[in-house]
Amino acid sequence: MIMKKEILLQLQNISVYYGGVKALDSVDISLDKGEIVALVGPNGAGKSTILKAIFGLAPIHSGKVLWHEKEIEPIPHEAAQRGIAFIPQGRRVFSHLTVEENLEIGGFILKDKHKLNRRIEEIMETFPILRQKKKAKSGTLSGGQQQMLALARGLMTDPKVLLFDEPSLGLAPKIAKEVFAKIKEINEKHKTAIMVVEHNIKFSLKITHRAYVLNKGEIVAKDTSQKLLKSDVLEKIFMGKLV
Amino acid sequence: MEIFSQLIFNSIIAGAVYALIALGFNLIYGATKFLNLAHGVMTAIGGYTVFYFTKTLDWNIYLAVIIGILFAGLIGFSLDKFVYFPLRKRKASNMVLLVASFGAFTAIQAIIAILFNSRFQTLSQNTSAQKSFEIFGGVITQTQLIILASAALIMTGLVLLLHKTRFGKAIKAISDDEEVAKIVGINTNKIIGYVFFIGSAIAGFAGILVGFDTGIEPTMGLDLLFKGVIASIVGGIGNLYGGVLGAFLLGFVENFGIWKISGDWKDAIAFALLIVFLIFRPRGIMNK
Repeated sequence: MIMKKEILLQLQNISVYYGGVKALDSVDISLDKGEIVALVGPNGAGKSTILKAIFGLAPIHSGKVLWHEKEIEPIPHEAAQRGIAFIPQGRRVFSHLTVEENLEIGGFILKDKHKLNRRIEEIMETFPILRQKKKAKSGTLSGGQQQMLALARGLMTDPKVLLFDEPSLGLAPKIAKEVFAKIKEINEKHKTAIMVVEHNIKFSLKITHRAYVLNKGEIVAKDTSQKLLKSDVLEKIFMGKLV
Repeated sequence: MEIFSQLIFNSIIAGAVYALIALGFNLIYGATKFLNLAHGVMTAIGGYTVFYFTKTLDWNIYLAVIIGILFAGLIGFSLDKFVYFPLRKRKASNMVLLVASFGAFTAIQAIIAILFNSRFQTLSQNTSAQKSFEIFGGVITQTQLIILASAALIMTGLVLLLHKTRFGKAIKAISDDEEVAKIVGINTNKIIGYVFFIGSAIAGFAGILVGFDTGIEPTMGLDLLFKGVIASIVGGIGNLYGGVLGAFLLGFVENFGIWKISGDWKDAIAFALLIVFLIFRPRGIMNK
């Protein structure tokens, strides 16, 4: 019996302009329930812009964003309420707030105080380091700890979809590996669909099911991560042979 | 000894008024990262609203004070909704927002002058009948005691609001990183609107207190704005505690600075303090 895939998130024909510069050109992307999808490509390919467009943080010129196959207007604070979490690039934690306060803010849309406290406890069990540092100002944490906090904060609402922009950026390889292991664990344990933008192709294709390869704002290839790893398309893109 | 005591009282009272201005100013700056110059005119709005309801309509003074505070808050909220929010939406720079706020300041000040004339007025019913107390040779009036008590109450309330409520934590999050605050589901425009309401209401209240202590005039907002901004910069702009610290420091420096010289030097001393801080500690006392 063939199981029908449940599409959670879709981008149809999305074009984004920054001023007069085209950042995305008629991009079609989808994310199914329970899968991890990677967006890979060289700098300036438009990978991060895709995540921002889903959250209404990039100016969409044309095209549609669909949530459960229904068109939505991407508005940042509404995306969180739908069950989409976004962890932006650069370990952007609320540096003047404590670890615990960061988690509280991560669960801002949870109105029930008991539910919020319970969720903080659950998250701290998943990320033991955060329990140890819960009263510390997040600006004082190490890079890896801040990235874990950003991930934990994103998970506070138990999202159906997690968008993660450059999880390994600026982290030592060992720490980056831990972050990727956590991403994989979250996907397997909670069936959270994850879309990850990552410059480290090896890392990302190892843990993802499918991947889109972008170049200059266009999708130039899409396939399962295993097939892409074996193909020469990535080499061509990064060596500048595929235009 | 009497002069010394009096100078201490004067410094504390001035510090309390400046602290109220700086609190609202820093609260708004923290959330929006622009210098809202229109903040000063909220003091005149508060003062003149009470003046209108008590002197023209002969309403109950307490009711008039509440209306004055709420009206100043409402004007601040409306300024954000109809001027600053559309500009932020168009990604206007902080300089554009600053100029817009100065425009709003000037326009509102002119309207107040047209409606009420430019004469100096007082809100007190009978200044000579006002109770005063002598402590260590210095004199403090009942109104001044109310200024101190209400400043302390507002400062405490604001601290509790910021640290103990979801709303306060949302303000702190916006102040830290507005984009990420949006991402976690905070309707930042709504919260910023409320911040304008609260900050402007506090400034309105400060204007009312000044109106009872000394008096009101349409241009009163400019002097109070300057003092509030100096206090904020000296203490650390955007930092609530810094603003309060800066306000009291300014109050003391200003009042003790004129101990042996004419009171006309007060403003010069205040700006000298600002310049010293801008040169040697531009981030203020509290900001690292």
